[in-house]
Amino acid sequence: MRKMQPMFRRSSHKLPGLNLASMPDLIFTVLFFFMIVTHMRQDEVHLRYDLPAGTQVTKLQQKSALITVYIGPLQGAASKEYHVQVNGKVVAVADVAKAVGAERQKLSVENQERLVVSMKADRKTPMGLISDVKKELQKSYALKINYSGREGE
Amino acid sequence: MFRKRHSQSVPQLNTTSTADISFMLLIFFLVTSSMDTDKGLLRQLPPPPVEEVKPMEVQQEHVFSVNLDAQGQLSCEGALLTHEQLEEKMRSFIANDRTEHVVSLSVDRDATYEDYFRLQNTIVSVYHSLRDAEARRKYHCSYAALSSSQRDAVNQFIPQRISEQEQQR
Repeated sequence: MRKMQPMFRRSSHKLPGLNLASMPDLIFTVLFFFMIVTHMRQDEVHLRYDLPAGTQVTKLQQKSALITVYIGPLQGAASKEYHVQVNGKVVAVADVAKAVGAERQKLSVENQERLVVSMKADRKTPMGLISDVKKELQKSYALKINYSGREGE
Repeated sequence: MFRKRHSQSVPQLNTTSTADISFMLLIFFLVTSSMDTDKGLLRQLPPPPVEEVKPMEVQQEHVFSVNLDAQGQLSCEGALLTHEQLEEKMRSFIANDRTEHVVSLSVDRDATYEDYFRLQNTIVSVYHSLRDAEARRKYHCSYAALSSSQRDAVNQFIPQRISEQEQQR
């Protein structure tokens, strides 16, 4: 006996396999995006710092014309003596202008003009040291400065 | 003698693993990229002082002087203030004396950076609220929504005039 025909005819063709040929291209696109956007951090931070918090902090626009000055006690050291680090190197306060000048030379010419110094200083740093560093920055004509901070009260 | 030509087609290159390889690279870049957004208060330092140039004379009535002492206490003209009071006072001072005002900061060398940061934060907040109000009055939208030329116009309308010096002992 033949089977009874269902009321709606089931389509009996097989689902075609999904073509995955373009998947590598898609992933490559995402990969290239990340390769271009990413900014590899090459300097190791030797100091420990706890940033102050503020309500008015804004995002820093360009990361390519940036020199970071860290201020804080040495990592792992028990002493509370504050040190200054310019990008990757710990320097004496009197040499900050020279170090910033040297770092600036590494940037491209148009970036040298819009240089921003991001100051990442520990909350407890005495202002005397900060203003000494600021005087050094003035000396090297790095006048745009960003007091780095966290968002919050 | 004449061999029969094989009519076999070139097999397709198996590209299944390309996706895996690029995934691996993608994950590498995802992990190594520093996504930490640097946030902070952007400020402009004055150029280094030149010996021959005499400091600009500013009349006393235009000066709003703020003092930050070693204990982190704010004072203005001898009276201790909280940050909120300072904000209020500074806002009305700048609103009254838009183009000629000078905010003069003097900070003790023993004050902590955190207190200084809070002070800067307050100053930024005062200027921001004034500029925002001006933007709303003139362009009917917030300062953040302005175009760069409109922003320049507002910035020129309410310039930031700040002078900093170390506290003399």
